[in-house]
Amino acid sequence: MTANRDRTTAQVQQAIVITRVFDAPRELVWKAWTEPEHFARWYGPKGFTTPVCRIDLRVGGKYLNCMRSPQGQDFWSTGVFREVVAPERLVMTGSRADKDGNVDADWPMETQISVAFEEDDGRTKVTLKHVGMPAGKGRDMAEAGWNESLDKLADVLAESRRA
Amino acid sequence: MMPRHRARPDHLSATFAALADPTRRAILARLASGEASVTELAKPFDVTLPGISKHLKVLQRAGLITQGRRAQWRPCRLRGRPLREVADWVERYRRFWEESFDRLDDYLREVQRREKRHDRKS
Repeated sequence: MTANRDRTTAQVQQAIVITRVFDAPRELVWKAWTEPEHFARWYGPKGFTTPVCRIDLRVGGKYLNCMRSPQGQDFWSTGVFREVVAPERLVMTGSRADKDGNVDADWPMETQISVAFEEDDGRTKVTLKHVGMPAGKGRDMAEAGWNESLDKLADVLAESRRA
Repeated sequence: MMPRHRARPDHLSATFAALADPTRRAILARLASGEASVTELAKPFDVTLPGISKHLKVLQRAGLITQGRRAQWRPCRLRGRPLREVADWVERYRRFWEESFDRLDDYLREVQRREKRHDRKS
């Protein structure tokens, strides 16, 4: 139960932070993230494909992806690049969209994804941070970080889960 | 970059908006240790009573707290469910990225193997 509780705390506190070391040079990992023909080969859970991937890699540029489930259902997503510092750092927004790149109005939520690429003795450490925030007005506030010190709250959460 | 399930987007968005403010987070943290009146909640903050009431309204709209109807002191109470939805949302994204990273790892190995073969040929 303790492990579970810790995990819940971490989730509520940090949104999502994932770090992974890849056995590949940083330039190649950067390419895998920023060039459509590479990106389409790994993006999405196992069994999913990415039949459409468009990337306009510059600050203010947009991307549009279509992810296809093994059952053939399509999920489109779009966003705008906020920071592009090759080969070190990539920051973009993310929203659900339709095939023309229009943001899904039923999903009034925008997320921000930042990815840091660090060299580590010929390998590359990737740190991904994914934060959710409401789209529109609330955003500046949300960017200040909704995800601090909710320890006690997370405990309550864990307890209500157990109940 | 969205995972494939959607869960109550409207609720979720209201929850995120409510959690975006440090005073509101502090109020929730206080309520996590038990119910409290508006006056009690206002005490630790440099905020007027109407200011606190505004925050409480946002939290109430997001379903994060309920306020009792017992006349005089109308205690506020924490509700866990919207927070669970946030946690579920986060968990889905985590799985999404973990699985994508597994595939990226395989893909990078494959690309490098191909490059090596290519180098040997030339």
